[in-house]
Amino acid sequence: MIENYNFNIDKIPNLSQEEKSIRKKNLDIFFQSGFPNKKLEDWKFTDLNSLISKNFQKLTNIEKFNIDKKLELLNNFQHNYVYLINGKMNSYNFNYEEKNKIIIDNFNNSNRNVNKPLNSLNFLNDALAIDGFYLEIKENYKLKKPLIIYNFFSNNLKDVIISNKNSIKINKGSSVDLIEYSLDDSNNCFIKNTNEQINLDEGSNLNYFVLQGSKSNNFFYKYIKSKLKKNSNFNNYILTSGLKFNKIEFDIELNDDNSNCEIYSALSLTENAHQEIKTLIAHNSPYCRSYQVIKSVLNDQSKGVYQGKIYVKNQAQKTNAYQLSKTLILNDKSEFNAKPELEIYADDVKCSHGSTSGSIDENSIYYLMTRGISEIDAKKLLIKGFLADFLEKVKNQEIKMLFEENLERQVNGS
Amino acid sequence: MKNQNLNINQEYKYGFTTDIESIKAPKGLSEESIKFISNIKKEPSWMLDWRLKAFKRLKTLKEPNWQKPKYPKIDYQDLYYYSAPKSSSNKPKSLDEIDPKIIETYKKLGIPLVEQQRLNGIAVDAVFDSVSVATTFKEELTKKGIIFCSISEAIQKHPELVKKYIGSVIPLSDHYFATLNSAVFTDGSFVYIPPNTRCPMELSTYFRINASETGQFERTLIIADKGSYVSYLEGCTAPMRDENQLHAANVELIALDDAEIKYSTVQNWYPGDKDGVGGIYNFVTKRGICKGKNSKISWTQVETGSAITWKYPSCILQGDNSVGEFYSIAITNNHQKADTGTKMIHLGKNTKSKIISKGISAGFADNTYRGLVDINEKATNSRNYTQCDSLLMGNKCGAHTVPYIKNKNSTSTIEHEATTTKINEEQLYYCNQRGLDQEEAVSLIVNGFCKEVLQQLPMEFAVEAQKLVAISLEGSVG
Amino acid sequence: MLNIKNLKVSVENKLILNDLNLKINPGEVHAIMGPNGSGKSTLANVLSGKKGYEIQGEILFDELNINDISVEERAQKGIFLAFQYPVEIPGVNTNVFLRTSLNSIRKSKGEKELDTLTFLKLIKEKAKELGIDEKFLSRQLNVGFSGGEKKKNEILQMKLLQPKLSILDETDSGLDIDALKIVADGVNSYKKKDNAFLIITHYQRLLDYIKPDFIHVLSKGKIVKTGSAELALELEKSGYKNL
Repeated sequence: MIENYNFNIDKIPNLSQEEKSIRKKNLDIFFQSGFPNKKLEDWKFTDLNSLISKNFQKLTNIEKFNIDKKLELLNNFQHNYVYLINGKMNSYNFNYEEKNKIIIDNFNNSNRNVNKPLNSLNFLNDALAIDGFYLEIKENYKLKKPLIIYNFFSNNLKDVIISNKNSIKINKGSSVDLIEYSLDDSNNCFIKNTNEQINLDEGSNLNYFVLQGSKSNNFFYKYIKSKLKKNSNFNNYILTSGLKFNKIEFDIELNDDNSNCEIYSALSLTENAHQEIKTLIAHNSPYCRSYQVIKSVLNDQSKGVYQGKIYVKNQAQKTNAYQLSKTLILNDKSEFNAKPELEIYADDVKCSHGSTSGSIDENSIYYLMTRGISEIDAKKLLIKGFLADFLEKVKNQEIKMLFEENLERQVNGS
Repeated sequence: MKNQNLNINQEYKYGFTTDIESIKAPKGLSEESIKFISNIKKEPSWMLDWRLKAFKRLKTLKEPNWQKPKYPKIDYQDLYYYSAPKSSSNKPKSLDEIDPKIIETYKKLGIPLVEQQRLNGIAVDAVFDSVSVATTFKEELTKKGIIFCSISEAIQKHPELVKKYIGSVIPLSDHYFATLNSAVFTDGSFVYIPPNTRCPMELSTYFRINASETGQFERTLIIADKGSYVSYLEGCTAPMRDENQLHAANVELIALDDAEIKYSTVQNWYPGDKDGVGGIYNFVTKRGICKGKNSKISWTQVETGSAITWKYPSCILQGDNSVGEFYSIAITNNHQKADTGTKMIHLGKNTKSKIISKGISAGFADNTYRGLVDINEKATNSRNYTQCDSLLMGNKCGAHTVPYIKNKNSTSTIEHEATTTKINEEQLYYCNQRGLDQEEAVSLIVNGFCKEVLQQLPMEFAVEAQKLVAISLEGSVG
Repeated sequence: MLNIKNLKVSVENKLILNDLNLKINPGEVHAIMGPNGSGKSTLANVLSGKKGYEIQGEILFDELNINDISVEERAQKGIFLAFQYPVEIPGVNTNVFLRTSLNSIRKSKGEKELDTLTFLKLIKEKAKELGIDEKFLSRQLNVGFSGGEKKKNEILQMKLLQPKLSILDETDSGLDIDALKIVADGVNSYKKKDNAFLIITHYQRLLDYIKPDFIHVLSKGKIVKTGSAELALELEKSGYKNL
């Protein structure tokens, strides 16, 4: 119930009076509508409001972040890292890189992002945000090693909402492979509401990988606003699973000629997991390309949602935009909803989408069984194959292997 | 006869008006006007009660605003809800009693009503403004036990059927325009096909809006009893007027066990002029239920007219093994707007649905496909296949695809494909090289693009529809 | 090895195989010919254990009634079906698939599973024998393969899995003469005295390269004629109509 939400702006440190009053206004706007529900077109398939009322008797904004924690790092390959604990930056390490090429900082007022709020969660974020990171790669620098952003959640979180703002700026001609790796140690419920701004300058490249190190019983919402300049590339690979609720909302503007964006997602959901990907890709300029492939495997009572929209402005001729969602439904209690949408105002374009959902192809199972493979193994093999085909697109071999490991674990259900 | 400006305008050849004296209900939406309609139609009291119930409900509803095409606010108090040619205030018993001007009007529209000129194999119910003026081939149909008459007549002569099925597919409180129709509907067609009967001819209704400041609210109810088959076609035109006219029809189809209903529409209401002035607001609710097992409902529509078209002919697939189909061509040119598509609700086992939608947008027009495919958890082994293709001509127009897909069943499959492109230049070049001019080439290619839908239409209308496709796009290529 | 007794098969109450009898001994090559719709492919599917058929009669494999045995167990016991239309399985790497398959069969026999390196060595060897490019092994299973490549892949699998009974369902269809030779060489090189072949074909063409010991003519679900290799030539001349 909304009256049990105790969000206190006064306990946020170092705020000017003006800042406080802006935040309070945003909080008021949030309270007018509460958490989103199905009446909103963007939440057509999900009643977050009732999900949250069911899971939270009370709710407050976080005040204490730091805990004593020995950092656990992935030892698969050498990498740079930024370590966030409960949303607050704990430490970072760029030892593999040249000095003065990278700026990394805590979120603060000087580098805060200015995404225009679109829904009540955005307003709530504007009201309560206190942490997150600011990352900037200077001009013409390609990171030598991948950067892992660790997102660790401690076991003393209870009935809290963590509101972060992140900002990533890749300057002209620079490139980075960035992995967001989440680890959840908590036993109790929390909500993470993140608002991220990503700006890609001319000729820059960002490969953004999203991975989940452990299952989580918590609620994640992330809004990503991204603006792309000429010849830049923004590629996303999403492989999260075992989250009770996860919604990633992309709002991507292809603002200059020949900017490209790709989104691949491979989700294998079990129990009562709920995952949503929502995209809006605005082709505002000619010769841009966007490509989205969303794969889901749904088991038990899980629910998958894909709402994708391609918008093509009238001057964006020669646009090439593609959306595909493919889903395997393995259980009658699971559910898949999709809304792949095209809104097109330019005629010389190639835009298409496809969506399929259904069971595993019986003929394929049969074929594998005639080769002596058991039905269960055949299904696993097919599911893995179904989810894994985007791995071919991952150029960094070390990251590819990390993904393969994760995928293996997901499909084998651990 | 004044103002017979026939064919002044090449784009819309049905834009003439017929000067005829008419009886109108008092202007405005009120209990009085509803009572007026019910009274003039000599309706039984249960029908009036039903209308008033809808009106009461209407007061609590708001006009929907989620659709893509927006329109200026309609002043419901500034409309006539009933208009009928004076000469037909008592429905004529034979064609001799119909005002010759009306017969002449339908003749001009290509729908001869008089005996000698009747279309072969097609029975026609002609609706002029608010009333049905003539129904042809009635006797032949009666012999087979088929009822084909105006809904007003059915209310009086077959109250048990109307009472049982009216509002059973589109409930009273469904949404604003459907409820408005339930309150003020004036006429429309009623069809009942008895068990194990194959209707020997195409049944068709021809709608004509003539009077100005008049809304047309027709209601059609088709019931196909067990093991029967019927193919039904509706056509629509209206005079050119520089005001917008509202057309809010409700169509309900009921298919019982093993029955099949094929419903085709060629909609060519006045689309407004080149600058988007005038034209019909075509806000129509069409819904069919495959109530019985092995039943089938197939919608085919060619939508070329109207300033705004806003309709989603839908199928509720309740019976096991039932089939729903939707074939659509929507062409928008100049300032026309269309937001159309379908809903396929799979409830029964082994239900199948197929959606083929072709949208063509030219000039400054906006064309949206919006559809829902919903497979319920109990609808095991169900299938849907959807294909939505859009063609854009120029970069001042828009083409949109908004499908909603819900699958709750692990044994059911949904496939959806959509593309948006422009006319293939290679194809144009090839046609040009073979001596076709630009417009001929475009017409040829667009007709090819629409072929899958066109071939669903009954033969007699397929040719007409092809011509319509070509005419609708005239002046769209430079 | 294989003994089919009074086999009746129907699909949705439609009788497809009617009282079929066939005995195959180790070392023999049998060919089944017949017009379209005579039930040839149904026989292949039923022997592999495909679901969806109502079956009466007995299928004995190595004296064991296999009527109720699952598809993969039959494969593990040594029944191999080379498909007329092998399915494309996107995302599944050919190598991974072949190794999983081979190890499943080895495991069922109580043999040790092969590690990746040993497997790769083995598969490369087999591929080379058939003149198959190694690159082909790292592609997705049958995806984008030409008709000939798919059929070669089937024969490669046969040679890798070493079945007792190999059923070739219209393996010659859609093959050019070079691919046909490769397929036939693959079969001939695998022919031993303890394994057998059942070759299902519409045309006599493949039998120019693989010499059968027996030819059976299947018509309307029954074997209507059995003869030696010469029967094929006769059929080629006079067609199936005279039978």
